[in-house]
This record gives sequence, structure tokens and C-alpha cells, in this order.
Amino acid sequence: MSDEPPVIEVADLQKTYRTPFRRRKVVALRGINVLVRRGEIFGFLGPNGAGKTTTIRILMGLIAATGGTAKIFGETVPSRAARQRLGFLPEQPYFYDYLTVGELCDLAGRLFGVDAATRKRRADELIARVGLDRARTQNLKKFSKGMMQRAGLAQALMNDPDLVVLDEPMSGLDPIGRKEVRDLILELRERGKTVFFSSHILTDVEAISDRVAIVARGQVRAVGAPHELVGHTQLGVDVSLRLPEADPDAAAKSLAGDLDASAVRRADRQLTLALAGDADVDALLARGRELGARVLAVTPRFETLEDLFLRRIAEVDDPATTTPASAPRAEAAS
Amino acid sequence: MTASLGRMWALALNTFREAARIRVLYGILVLVVGANLFAVLLGEMSQHAEARVARDVGLAGISLFGSLTAIFLGVFLLYSEIQRRTIHAIVSKPIERWEFVVGKYLGMALILSVLVALFAVAMLALLAFQGIAISQAVAQAVLLAWMEVLTVAAIAVFFSSFSTPFLSGIFALALFALGRLTPDILAASESSKSTWVRATTRIALEIVPDLHLFGISGRSVDGAPVSVHGDFVSWGYVLTSCGYALAWIGGLLLIASLIFRRRDFV
Repeated sequence: MSDEPPVIEVADLQKTYRTPFRRRKVVALRGINVLVRRGEIFGFLGPNGAGKTTTIRILMGLIAATGGTAKIFGETVPSRAARQRLGFLPEQPYFYDYLTVGELCDLAGRLFGVDAATRKRRADELIARVGLDRARTQNLKKFSKGMMQRAGLAQALMNDPDLVVLDEPMSGLDPIGRKEVRDLILELRERGKTVFFSSHILTDVEAISDRVAIVARGQVRAVGAPHELVGHTQLGVDVSLRLPEADPDAAAKSLAGDLDASAVRRADRQLTLALAGDADVDALLARGRELGARVLAVTPRFETLEDLFLRRIAEVDDPATTTPASAPRAEAAS
Repeated sequence: MTASLGRMWALALNTFREAARIRVLYGILVLVVGANLFAVLLGEMSQHAEARVARDVGLAGISLFGSLTAIFLGVFLLYSEIQRRTIHAIVSKPIERWEFVVGKYLGMALILSVLVALFAVAMLALLAFQGIAISQAVAQAVLLAWMEVLTVAAIAVFFSSFSTPFLSGIFALALFALGRLTPDILAASESSKSTWVRATTRIALEIVPDLHLFGISGRSVDGAPVSVHGDFVSWGYVLTSCGYALAWIGGLLLIASLIFRRRDFV
């Protein structure tokens, strides 16, 4: 077991804002617990207003917590030493729009104290890496949202950081751009970097994260590897059948039986039935054979990250079932 | 220390670059050159007072337009960074909040210095065109006006660290006026019968930068009248005034940094 501190350690983090005039309390974080280990890709998942960006802003030293602790590389934030070793892409990044992407990278490099030759080399590499080579001479003012996101990624990596914090990095990107960002994140992990990113795009989080935390209403509701979180709960079985040529409608009606309309999909003679976990699959298959249907596939349906996400969010709306994730020490053992 | 200076210099250069794109500044420059040309015209209409008019209008232009530009730039300096959220990508770098405030101020001071230099060049060129000798007193007066502009800029930045541009502008203008009229306000209060009024005015003026020190021509120093057209101040006075300006600038930036350190950037 290494003595190296976790890259990010957040314990019982709280943030309460006060409205400007009426001084009304707005609770943004109600005790966030997160622990990110070296070299992992950690997805921070949650709906809008869950507290993802607030947590990240506290970690980046942009806002102060009203309770709890947050550490990066073992240093309590805000820490200049910790920020020296990390790269940050803000949500919907705004940069000085009169700069070119090269000038933005140069400014970032100067603030990190990178020498001139390294700044030039890294800026060239990163601009090419994020696919902005052809837009080098344009001011950021002329950049699309996706291009701005790429420019933000390039400036975030100017110090060759050990930790990369990305707030909604896929936001505003087209499918190709999203894939490129996913590839970049995976490449960073291969190079030994730790990546902490927030997103509400479930497929992206599920595809690349080593571990995820689901946040809702200012608390972590679930944390763990995506396959651990979702892989054990079998929700049901999907059965696909090829209906007989003679009177397929009657066969479909008979096979669907009392199933809810949302559990029945039909495309021409192909029928797919989403059965519940306790359904008698053998009996259905036997009936199908009796009707002259051919079985195409029988697929167990496990809970996806989306199912888990929606379930956890729904639980938040029902306080009786609300179960915040365990304390950080317990997470460390997971 | 070198690294800290490097970060502040990077921010200063960026601020300079940003400010240099503000078209209003070019309008102000044209206005100042126009005022100097107008002074030439006024001088021609006067009875052998061409030099006096040209110097007075030129120096007043540097002081007034320089200070108003300083307020205009200063009140937006920190506020716009927060409003546009450009600060998020900067403060998340290994930079201290005070370095950010000082770096931004230095960038603004740089653009104001260039403006003051251009205002001065315009004035000196017209003085030379009229065949008026450029005295040491004029150089000293320009240097004092420059210090005044930098002090006013620090006042504006101080208010910008916690207030909106509108309110910061009002506060900064009020302080500029108070600072400029310090001896007159003091004299008026001394004629008051109320000891409370006299005491309060004295205390209030102590916490306001004494800007009239930088526009001393036509007033008196140690009981002796001084004028940029005749006997002006010594270099010792100029250096002391520069030290006074730098002390105020340092103090104001220190308080602005302390306030800025506690701010949340949401």
C-alpha cells in the first residue's frame, strides 16, 4: 500500500450561498465525499444543479467551502502548489477572445512558469492534438463552441499536469469531437495522468471512467466502478423472435399477451419483448415455437448506468429512500 | 520571487493588450490633441500669454483626461474579468489573488503611462511648434500628473475589487474631486464655528489621497507660491510626491487584494 496521498480527497464538503439582498440561504453542497486515486479516470456524474461545478470550483480555488475539507495532492485547497500540478478546463470556457489559440496557450504557459522554448513546443503539439492547427491564426472570438472547448483543453495541458480537471468537457461538441475528447482522456491515463471530469452525458462517462460518483442535490449518491455499480442487478430479459409468415399479427398479439406497450417493439416480422426479471421465459419460447415463430435472441438485461443514474435521482426526490454514499474512508477501501 | 514577477508580467502584458483594443482610448487621445490645438488658438487670442495658455491647457489635459481614463479603465478592470468568467481559467492557475490584482493594475498602469506619454508629446510638440522653450518645470509637472493618474487608477481598482463599475465610478470620481480640492475643503471647514465639523473634515481628508499635491502649480509650497510658468517645485518635492503616490498605490492595491482574496467566483 503506497503512502502517497490520494490525488483528490474531499470530505463532507459543504457550500451555502447567500442571496445578495434578502440573504436567503441556498445550499449547494450538503457534504460531498469523493476520493480520487492516482492514474484513474474519475467521472463526476449528476443532473444540472447537483453540485458538480460547485465542487470543482472549490477544488480549483475559485470559491471557498463553508464546511468540510478538500485536498489535492494532500494539500488543502486553495493551494498554489497543487494548482501548479493540475490543468483545468472550466465549464463553458470563456477566454480572452482577442487572443489566438497559440497566444492563449502561451499565456497559460507563462502563468505556469514554463520556459519560452517549452511553451512554444507544447503549444504546437497541443494545438495539433486538439485539431486546431488550421485555426491557429484566428482570434478566439471567431471560434465555435466546440473549437473553444478544444482551445480550453490545449491551455489546460500546457504544464503537462499530473491531474486534469475537466468540467463538462464534451459539452458543445459533435460526436466526432466527443470521441476525440474521450480518446484524449484515455491517452492521458495511459501517460499516467489522473483525470477528474464532470458530465451529464452518461454514455461518455460509462465508456471511459474507471470509477464514477453520482451526485444529486449536493450529495454523492453512489460511487464505484461503472461495472460494479450496474453489473449485478438483472432487470429482465429481452427476447427477439421472427414471427411466422402466416398471420404474424395474431402471433405477435398472442406472444405479447398482457405486456405493457412500452415493452413490445415490432419491426415488420421481428418482435422484441422486454420481459421482467421474474417472467417465465421458457413458457414464452415454447409458445413462440407453437405459433411457428423462430427465436433470434434471448438477452439478459442488466441495469445500465443510465438506469442507476435515473434511479438514484428519483430516490433523491423521495426522501424516504435517500441514501447518500458512504464516507470517504469507506470509499478508499472500495 | 522571479516566478511571481513573471506571472504578474504575463497578466500585465495581457491587460495592456486588452486595453489597447478599447477604441474610446483613441477618442480620448484625439480629444487631448484637439484641446492642445485649441490652446494654441486661445494663446493667439491672448495678449502675449501663448506659452502660459499652452502649458496650462496641456497639463490640465494630462491630469484630467488621464485621471478620467484611469477611472474608466479601473472600474472595469476586475469586474469584467468576473462577469465574463475569464478569471476562472486564470485564478485556477498557480497564481495568487494578489498577483492577479497587481498584474492587472500593472497592465493598466502601462497603458495609462503610454497615454500620458502621448498626451505629453502632443503638448510638447505644440509648444515647440510655437517656439516656446520647454522648461524643467514642465517635465516635473508632467511627472507629477503621471503619478496622479496612477494613483487615481489604484483608487478605481480598489473600488472595482468589491463594487459594480457604476458605483466604483461614482466613488472614484468623488475621491478624485475630494483629493483635488483638499486644501479648499480644509480651508472652508476651518471657517466653520463647529469644532465637530472641523475635526470630522480633517479626519475625512486624512483618509483621502491628497491629489492636489500633484497639481501644485498656482498654489504654494511651504508658504512660497509655485508656478509651472515661473518658480516651480524642487526635485525633492517631486520625489517625495512620487513616494506619496507609490505609498497610496501600494496601500490601495493591498486592501483590494485582501478583499479580492475573499471573493467567490461563481
